[in-house]
Amino acid sequence: MSEAVPSSYSDPSSLLYQLESILESDPLIDEVGFVHPSQFASMSDTSQANTTEMSFWSKDHKVGISTESIHPLYTAAKHAFMSSLHQYKMLIPLHSKKVDNISATSSPLTGLENELMKHSRALLLLSCDFGTAWNCRKEVVLNKQDIRLYLDELSLSSLVLSCSPKSERTWSHRRWVIKMIAGKCTNLEEILKNESDLANRIAEKSKMNYRAWNHRCWLVSYMPESQVIDELIKYRDWAGLHVADNSCFHYRTRLMSRTLEDSWYKQDLKATEICQLWKEEITWSEILIKRYIGREALWLYRRFLSVCWMKHFAGHSHTGGSGSGSGTHLDLFVENEIKLFRWCKRIPDNVFEDYQAQAMFAATYIIWLIKEMDEDEGVRSRRSVVVEKVGEEVEQVVNKVCPEKAFLLDLMLTKTKV
Amino acid sequence: MGQLAAEKHTKYILQIEKKKDDIESALTEHLRINGAYWGLTTLDILGNLKAVEQEAVISWVMSCQHESGGFGGNIGHDPHLLYTLSAIQILSLFNKTQILNIPKVSTYISTLQNKDGSFSGDKWGEIDTRFSYLAICSLSLLNSLDKINVEKAVEYIISCKNLDGGFGCTPGAESHSGQIFCCVGALAITGCLHYVDKDLLGWWLCERQVKSGGLNGRPEKLPDVCYSWWVLSSLIMIDRVDWIDKEKLVKFILECQDIENGGISDRPDDAVDVFHTYFGVAGLSLLEYPGLKAIDPAYALPVDVINRLFLK
Ligand SMILES: [Zn+2]
Repeated sequence: MSEAVPSSYSDPSSLLYQLESILESDPLIDEVGFVHPSQFASMSDTSQANTTEMSFWSKDHKVGISTESIHPLYTAAKHAFMSSLHQYKMLIPLHSKKVDNISATSSPLTGLENELMKHSRALLLLSCDFGTAWNCRKEVVLNKQDIRLYLDELSLSSLVLSCSPKSERTWSHRRWVIKMIAGKCTNLEEILKNESDLANRIAEKSKMNYRAWNHRCWLVSYMPESQVIDELIKYRDWAGLHVADNSCFHYRTRLMSRTLEDSWYKQDLKATEICQLWKEEITWSEILIKRYIGREALWLYRRFLSVCWMKHFAGHSHTGGSGSGSGTHLDLFVENEIKLFRWCKRIPDNVFEDYQAQAMFAATYIIWLIKEMDEDEGVRSRRSVVVEKVGEEVEQVVNKVCPEKAFLLDLMLTKTKV
Repeated sequence: MGQLAAEKHTKYILQIEKKKDDIESALTEHLRINGAYWGLTTLDILGNLKAVEQEAVISWVMSCQHESGGFGGNIGHDPHLLYTLSAIQILSLFNKTQILNIPKVSTYISTLQNKDGSFSGDKWGEIDTRFSYLAICSLSLLNSLDKINVEKAVEYIISCKNLDGGFGCTPGAESHSGQIFCCVGALAITGCLHYVDKDLLGWWLCERQVKSGGLNGRPEKLPDVCYSWWVLSSLIMIDRVDWIDKEKLVKFILECQDIENGGISDRPDDAVDVFHTYFGVAGLSLLEYPGLKAIDPAYALPVDVINRLFLK
């Protein structure tokens, strides 16, 4: 059912009371949004009159808050929260001396804690980065030491993220919860999967959301090896549909980097598997680059893949190549990259901007490759061969499509290391 | 090309203070001390800091201090490094850092350093290279860098360097112009810029300039005035500022002004705010726009303020 609440006669504190009651009455609420009152009409049953005077709307575990009510609600929530917090801070020192918690459920402290949790929840939905409110929730949860309360914090922060997906404090609160329960709960892997899914859902709705992706990158260090591989495979198609989202490719950077950690690929069996994974990723990256013309994020991702490939696979003999400095892998790889450059530098006669960008990225990619070859002892000897082969072509492209980047040519032509 | 509407911007900033009751102001009250730093620094760069009631500002700043020594974003709010630096910067603008109990403030900051050299933003433990910058910049302004393990702090920042030459908030996190400013700034203050691959980082940074002349914070993002500060100051610190087209950037920032009512927005024709007004004016100062005080790229304070502090 949908519930409409007239607000014309509501004072701020009764508005707050209404919001808190709605949140209290349905623990399954999973989305909050701010809605202009004129939109309430289309969301509600027509039988309900006076939708323009509504402050809240709720249905199917979703809550809408009238944009007209935000300011009075915020003021009321902040005052209610700050005054409970003040009382709480006076009470806490008295309580910490007591050892017994038999009367805990009925103590004035518990009552105050409930008030704090109620008011801070309303406040955070209205002002997601109100750090003091997040902190006091941590304080309360920490005092109670009940795993369910930690999980409640995950639910509240998801709810806040549903209306404020970029809120830094909210993401940080989740990390605090996960750090606190990491050693205590048995289903950490499941929690991590849910986190990754949540971050993905939010990234879907809120494009190039640094905070969401950063959270996801943070999870990687907690993931077992199998989950790292799962994530790479599971979200490959998603990445292919979001080729402008640099964060999503950075996430892959983070996952791919983990496969290079010592404990992983020093195991012989794993090494071939991981080499295969890298080969596939490099091939896939090339397909995307050719399909989506002029996408910066794709080229940057390829820079990363190439540098690691040269460093860990092609330039060395980890992968079963015999003898040191056997250049076969490397020569093949470089040959392929030159081909890719030549394929991408062509600009059709009816010049499109995207093709110009593509040619620029292809040229700067080769410069990048050459500079990085100089940094790596294992492949340095091949550097001059590449410069000889494509140096001039790269120069031509740069002078034609991005003369303002000509200074990059110096990075290609001057050897920094001898 | 348009001109900088300096007078209008001064008026815009001075009237924000009076508008405490509107909704934007209410919803950002938890970080009012950051807002005060942005506004006051802008006024100083414009040469108009005198227009402010100094005593009132200072006593308000001091009432944001928590018993732990750190500062909150407003009265009654929990302390955090984010607000502690702003408080110290504001006091520096007025040449009033001596009213602080410096040992107390610097102890608050130094206890937030972790074993690996990183810093937590507050006692709840979130770690970020931004917090490293906040701590290092704060302590340096208080002449108390000896309170922390600088070597470890630098080591941690270096561990957040990515293959693309940029820096993220933790090891392995995506490069971001704001984070790069923090890392490069902290390295500059501690005299450790030699750890940066200047060509590589300069390359990543100069690729932030888009056709309109504006700078973005990450690949494929729209340009935004606040990145004029973060990208530009980093490029200056690593001596690669000639890799971008400065004239076009000046033009982009000027196009983001509200010529009628003052203030600067993130992009042309958007709504203005004090945050982007500060970054726009500070960016123009770095670009040596005529009539503006020079700003220090690492401390984000006017150069004369820094000189006054360190040449004493
Ligand atoms: Zn901005």
